Amino acid sequence: MPGLGTSFGRGGATTAQQDLQFSDAILIMGSSMAENHPVGFQWVIEAREKGAKVIHVDPRFNRTSAMADYWLPLRAGSDIIFLGALINYVLRNEKYFREYVVHYTNASTILREDFQDTEDLGGLFSGFDAEAASYSPETWLYEGAPVRQPRKGKHAGHSDVVGGHGKDRGGEAGDIGEHKNDPTLMHPRCVFQVLKKHFARYSAELVERSCGIPQEKFLQVAEAYTSASGPDKTGAICYAVGWTQHSTGVQIIRAAAILQLLLGNIGRPGGGILALRGHATIQGSTDIPTLYDILPGYLPMPFFESDSKKLSEYIEKHSSKTGWWSNFDKYIVSLLKAWYGEAAIRENEFGFNYLPRVTGDHSHFGYWLDMADGKLHGLFVMGQNPAVGAPNARLERRALSKLKWLVVRDLVETETASFWKDSPEIQRGEMKPQEIATEVFFLPAAGHAEKAGSYTNTQRLMQFREKAVDPPGDCRGETWFMYHLGRRLKARAESEQTTRNAALNALTWDYRTGGQHGEPVVEEIVAEINGYTAADRTLVPGYKELKNDGSTACGCWIYSGVMPKKGENKARKREPQGRYGHGWGYAWPSDRRILYNRSSARPDGKPWSERKKLVWWDEDKKEWTGFDTPDFTKTKPPDYQPEKGAKGDDALAGDAPFIMHPDGVGWLWVSSGLKDGPLPTHYEPLESVTANPLYPSHAISPVADKKERADNAYAHPGDKRFPYILSTYRLTEHHTAGGMSRTLPHLAELQPELFAEISPQLAIELGIENGKYMVLTTPRGIIELRALVTERIKTLKIDGRHVHQIFVPYHFGYKGRAVGDVPNDLLAISEEPNVRIMETKALVCNAKPGRLPRNKRSLAIWKQDLKRPA
Amino acid sequence: MTTTGFLTDSTLCIGCKACEVACKEWNQLPDDGYEWSGHSYDNTQALGHSTWRHVKFVEDTPEPAVGGNLGEQLPAWSFSSDVCKHCEVAGCLEACPTGAIVRMEFGAVFIQPDICNGCSYCVVSCPFGVVQRNEEDGRAFKCTFCSDRQRAGLKPACAQACPTESIRFGPLDELRDQAQDRLKKLAARGIEDAVIYDPTETSVEGIHALFLMRGDPRTYNLPQQPEVPTIYQKKGWTSAVIAAGSMLALALLSFLGESK
Amino acid sequence: MSHTGGRVPDYESERRLAELRQTASQTGRVEGKGVAVQGAPFPQASPADGYYGIPLLKEPQWKKEVPLYFFVGGAAGASAIIASSAGWLSADRDLVRKARWIAAAGSVLSAALLTKDLGVPSRFINMLRVFKPQSPMSMGAWTLTVFSASSVSAALANFLRAKELSAGPLILLENGSGMLAAASGLIMSSYTGVLIGATVVPVWNRHVGTLPMHFAASGLNSVVSILELMGHEDNRALNRLALAASAYEVAQGVAIESKRDRVNRPLQKGASGFIVRIGGLLSGPAPLALRIAYAVTGNKKLRRAAAVSSIAGSLLTRFGWMSAGKASAKDYALPLRPTYSKPEAPIKLHERQDRAIKTSA
Ligand SMILES: Nc1nc2c(c(=O)[nH]1)N[C@H]1C(S)=C(S)[C@@H](COP(=O)(O)OP(=O)(O)OC[C@H]3O[C@@H](n4cnc5c(=O)[nH]c(N)nc54)[C@H](O)[C@@H]3O)O[C@H]1N2
Ligand SMILES: Nc1nc2c(c(=O)[nH]1)N[C@H]1C(S)=C(S)[C@@H](COP(=O)(O)OP(=O)(O)OC[C@H]3O[C@@H](n4cnc5c(=O)[nH]c(N)nc54)[C@H](O)[C@@H]3O)O[C@H]1N2
Ligand code: SF4
Ligand code: SF4
Ligand code: SF4
Ligand code: SF4
Ligand code: SF4
Ligand SMILES: [Mo]
Repeated sequence: MPGLGTSFGRGGATTAQQDLQFSDAILIMGSSMAENHPVGFQWVIEAREKGAKVIHVDPRFNRTSAMADYWLPLRAGSDIIFLGALINYVLRNEKYFREYVVHYTNASTILREDFQDTEDLGGLFSGFDAEAASYSPETWLYEGAPVRQPRKGKHAGHSDVVGGHGKDRGGEAGDIGEHKNDPTLMHPRCVFQVLKKHFARYSAELVERSCGIPQEKFLQVAEAYTSASGPDKTGAICYAVGWTQHSTGVQIIRAAAILQLLLGNIGRPGGGILALRGHATIQGSTDIPTLYDILPGYLPMPFFESDSKKLSEYIEKHSSKTGWWSNFDKYIVSLLKAWYGEAAIRENEFGFNYLPRVTGDHSHFGYWLDMADGKLHGLFVMGQNPAVGAPNARLERRALSKLKWLVVRDLVETETASFWKDSPEIQRGEMKPQEIATEVFFLPAAGHAEKAGSYTNTQRLMQFREKAVDPPGDCRGETWFMYHLGRRLKARAESEQTTRNAALNALTWDYRTGGQHGEPVVEEIVAEINGYTAADRTLVPGYKELKNDGSTACGCWIYSGVMPKKGENKARKREPQGRYGHGWGYAWPSDRRILYNRSSARPDGKPWSERKKLVWWDEDKKEWTGFDTPDFTKTKPPDYQPEKGAKGDDALAGDAPFIMHPDGVGWLWVSSGLKDGPLPTHYEPLESVTANPLYPSHAISPVADKKERADNAYAHPGDKRFPYILSTYRLTEHHTAGGMSRTLPHLAELQPELFAEISPQLAIELGIENGKYMVLTTPRGIIELRALVTERIKTLKIDGRHVHQIFVPYHFGYKGRAVGDVPNDLLAISEEPNVRIMETKALVCNAKPGRLPRNKRSLAIWKQDLKRPA
Repeated sequence: MTTTGFLTDSTLCIGCKACEVACKEWNQLPDDGYEWSGHSYDNTQALGHSTWRHVKFVEDTPEPAVGGNLGEQLPAWSFSSDVCKHCEVAGCLEACPTGAIVRMEFGAVFIQPDICNGCSYCVVSCPFGVVQRNEEDGRAFKCTFCSDRQRAGLKPACAQACPTESIRFGPLDELRDQAQDRLKKLAARGIEDAVIYDPTETSVEGIHALFLMRGDPRTYNLPQQPEVPTIYQKKGWTSAVIAAGSMLALALLSFLGESK
Repeated sequence: MSHTGGRVPDYESERRLAELRQTASQTGRVEGKGVAVQGAPFPQASPADGYYGIPLLKEPQWKKEVPLYFFVGGAAGASAIIASSAGWLSADRDLVRKARWIAAAGSVLSAALLTKDLGVPSRFINMLRVFKPQSPMSMGAWTLTVFSASSVSAALANFLRAKELSAGPLILLENGSGMLAAASGLIMSSYTGVLIGATVVPVWNRHVGTLPMHFAASGLNSVVSILELMGHEDNRALNRLALAASAYEVAQGVAIESKRDRVNRPLQKGASGFIVRIGGLLSGPAPLALRIAYAVTGNKKLRRAAAVSSIAGSLLTRFGWMSAGKASAKDYALPLRPTYSKPEAPIKLHERQDRAIKTSA
């Protein structure tokens, strides 16, 4: 989550769901929290009952809107206009929390003279390289900051890391040098003034014209939210994939970060930005990543071109002189030590070169397109169901048929496992089972109650869970599978001592096993993640004890401290105390529930107000204290001033709460670390029914990757064939690709069939009756579904035109009890430039009443639709 | 033992259906089939032998929401989780010929499954359309008020699962007070159209599963004046007596003319 | 979910839609001539229509056994009364014998039908676990039990008497159990009206004050007719009884037809109304007219026809009421009214425009 990472320093929710009960206003946007995070939503209700205003901004009136004080419908894909207008409202009406802004953000920092804004260049920031379709971030730097020279053919600036999630660390800027500040915020090139200019055109009128929200309603809500902030009040923002799954997703979150920093809402009780994450341990799966471009703890994965063979250079490049990331070397060395053990010695740079290198786009879409082109031989699919869950699912399923072998480990036979016999491609005669050469292995997996392990939830809270029952039959847990697969691979590598096998041979893989099936002891893995001394394997009490000399090993530095002593697994604790429930599970880092909580106190260390106190300086004890673990060096006094040339955390003053950042403040302006600009700016979705009201010549993000090709085609701007906005969403009753819900009778009966929500106006226009079938088409595919006609969906007036939006829950597929066509057949593979996520929330489609035959005629119908005059 | 009850507060309900699913899981109930209704998000439609908690989805009742730039009509969506009312005077219990339906120590109306013989007379005696016979099994089923759980000192499964405390469980008299408090709180927030559904004025004499909702309870299929059918028996038996008397008299008179 | 059938959009309708969209996006409305606009209305919940018009009440789940039982039990009950009355007052021993047998056979058949309805034979026993006066079903079960025992023993005694065995105790037995059978028979033929009347089903409930008499008359009418067809077509007492019963049925029919409102609708309209009306015609006006004609002409065929008509009418009447009850329970609007069963409290409810959708496409 680089949106949060670059703004605040860590790529995780800044707050906890329980903390919402202390809010005075809650803005939920880009999420249907009541539907998708119902348990956490109780705290929103709690706040509402205490008098907080709950605002829901969502194109679709849903179960969350029903519980809100205000619902504002907006055109899907116009979020930055809305948020930009809120920022503009705050700046113009002096609604910002001045003292907070001056002390705790980079508002006063002065920028380079040669920076040019999108407002000056008609939609581009300075530094755009049209040929490479990417930016050089050099002109975005603080004035006076040293420029790092790139290694090969990349752009100058602080970071030229190719992946995305590395930026979750927010530490790219490294040495930002002796930058100049103007605490009066008057300097024309200070961040504050640049911000003002940048957002000046984001007006209430623009919101009305382009989002479809009446001006007065917008102003009413803007007032309600912004007036609930200040020394005595706080507001929180909750979002999820309604924001992230856009070609500008990261920048939408950036806009929220700017708003919250201006209002002084970060690090304070009832404030913050709550990134509502998805799957049970999706946070955990970025902390200890299943992603290709980062290593555990948000250390970047080395890249083939840019990261040399030398560990020292890699460290030099990715650490910073000031702020917490000055410890980078300790974390990477300890990680290498944990993985390669005895084989990781100073002489071989702790096995740095055992790590594979990233050679290109190995994200899901990168390798899936390679697969479609026949470049991949085999694939393991574990705990994923891309035949339903991935965009352009039709392409994805066809790509599976190009594999030699496919292993699916799942609880049920998913659509992915049975693509070769049940998919629409088979029904339509596009593929024949006898002609598909892919050998499919289906391995039964153990469910979550059938194995021990842990989840890291949406608020970075690690919770351990015991095994309740033994898995039936041949079902096995992931740890069992991965451990034994690794063991066998290692055994084979041992007999072939080649260079290629060196990493495998060096890898430590010595967990104890037990039980009937030789399950690895999970607590041993936790011990490794926590870290220990290399010499005698004594557990370290936390990441502060990690060393850069190879004397410590640690599998994921941010989790260090979860098992400080033998036999003490803090993730297993179930004794909640105090208002944040410390003692129940373990929140990284160091069990902090509210990040950056130093900012809940004034620069002098006293709480901003009695009502909003959280962490403060105890003058008698000379330490920080409060309701939460201070996110600050415990004994660093508020008036501490660094000496010139100080390094690391010592270089940060006693009033610098954003300790991960080299300058210790929250970033309204992100000088480096993002690929699409230092500030959010509005671009239309990759497919849109309207023109960009701000930048007519740069309708879409100039750096988003459309991956356009014949089997991943797009509607072009103004395409008459596809006059409606299409957006996809979730139902409470189902889970993601449906393997875990459409197969269960008690869930399947609740939403038994695929449908689309449409407005009565559209229903009349198309002659579609509630409950009858309709057909949707996009350049990627065609599906049939039922119509749910409802007043909850509003037709909007955008740029003087009536715009209809069609909403489709994406959970359906051809297996299980509740079945339907696959909505993701309609979507396109696309990549947001920073995190390479696809756009699922705003695209275009065509709709008509009727049914679709289950044979090749449906393809003919689709082709005919595509042939209509554009 | 104290009489326990539910207060199902629609103003807190988010329509997540966790109660419905928890009930089915705990009581091992079958599915109701996989039919898509087109009635908002409600595809299970009503209480019945296989659905003992049921969440209703009412679109378009008043809510202080703000609409789009075209529509004057503001959408709204209310959810209400329905359940057996465990009536103070229960039609089902009165009617049951076998004594299968009993009043539990905590006031619940409970069908003893080993005694029910499937006569289905309770089905036509419930003014709320709750109880139903399972045609395959032949017996009647409805919410047990989680009597098994209550006896073990646990909350009913539905209340336990509810994330927003929309289903409150506790001593009935306390819930009645809480319901009143809640009305006041809502009024303070400007919500004036909330009502408590608890038909104490009718022959049902009140229910143990209270409902709080906005607008007219009839929108949620709650009858305005539910009556226990027992009250109609007097009229019925009077008619039967007249019928018997007349028949006897007629028969005697007719044969008198034909005497031996 | 089935994936067959349905309309496949063709190019022509496509083109028209394109035009429609064009106008719609410009003007915000569609005025296309000849375009079937079917998008709205869509189902909504309201105080008048209740929850999307989904029935509030549960449909009675009785199947054909129950109305059949109502018929058989009603006839058997009335038969016991005839047997005893004739036993005391008439010399026609054959009539008494047949009446006793009908009562006995009917009582056994009744028990069988009820057991069939419950599904598992042993379940009938549970009916006798408790004696529960406030439950008409319980009262019915006990009545049936007493009635079966007494009518069967009366019939047996009668049979043994005919074999001229030691007459004394048998006479005592026949008369004793006969009286018990007659007494319980009186309840047998009328209680079913209470049983369905004292329920929440609107149309039954509305008629709770007359249903017992209606059913008693119907039972009497049918058993008299059966006896006539079994060879007692000259018996004047029977004819008188039948005349009275048919006359009552005429009055009942008039009463049902005269009140036209939503509660009574299932008795007048639809499949259930059709059965009720035919049943009513066959049990009231038709036999009455035939019997009068028989009285005038003395043509026995007419009397036989009247008997057949009454039996069929009585049978249809029970089926009619059962299906009327089912239709009535499906009426979503009635139970929403306050005291729908009281005709004196008329509530004007707007008729629901049929906004419900069909879920199968
Ligand atoms: N019951 C249930 N819970 C879940 C899941 C599930 O499948 N089922 N999935 C889990 C997972 S993996 C995730 S990632 C989370 C996701 O949680 P959410 O993000 O809440 O999920 P969605 O329903 O996909 O999208 C949220 C909302 O975004 C709105 N939306 C669409 N387009 C736009 C837009 O352009 N702007 C804005 N502001 N909003 C838009 C949609 O109308 C929708 O209401 O939920 C998690 N929780
Ligand atoms: N159109 C559209 N597409 C989307 C989205 C959207 O909003 N709109 N959302 C996207 C998002 S946020 C997400 S997270 C993805 C989700 O998409 P996927 O991850 O593809 O879908 P899931 O159904 O969650 O797949 C998880 C599978 O893991 C299995 N499983 C569960 N537990 C275990 C286990 O312990 N071991 C193993 N081996 N398997 C297990 C489940 O049965 C299930 O089949 O979909 C994405 N796709
Ligand atoms: S499914 Fe699990 S994570 Fe999601 S809301 Fe329910 S309890 Fe929370
Ligand atoms: S609601 Fe119906 S089933 Fe429940 S107790 Fe009352 S009468 Fe019985
Ligand atoms: S069906 Fe069962 S519970 Fe209902 S009345 Fe008959 S015996 Fe009682
Ligand atoms: S009390 Fe128990 S049986 Fe009744 S609805 Fe709740 S969970 Fe179901
Ligand atoms: S569990 Fe609670 S919030 Fe969810 S539907 Fe049931 S009553 Fe409503
Ligand atoms: Mo997700």
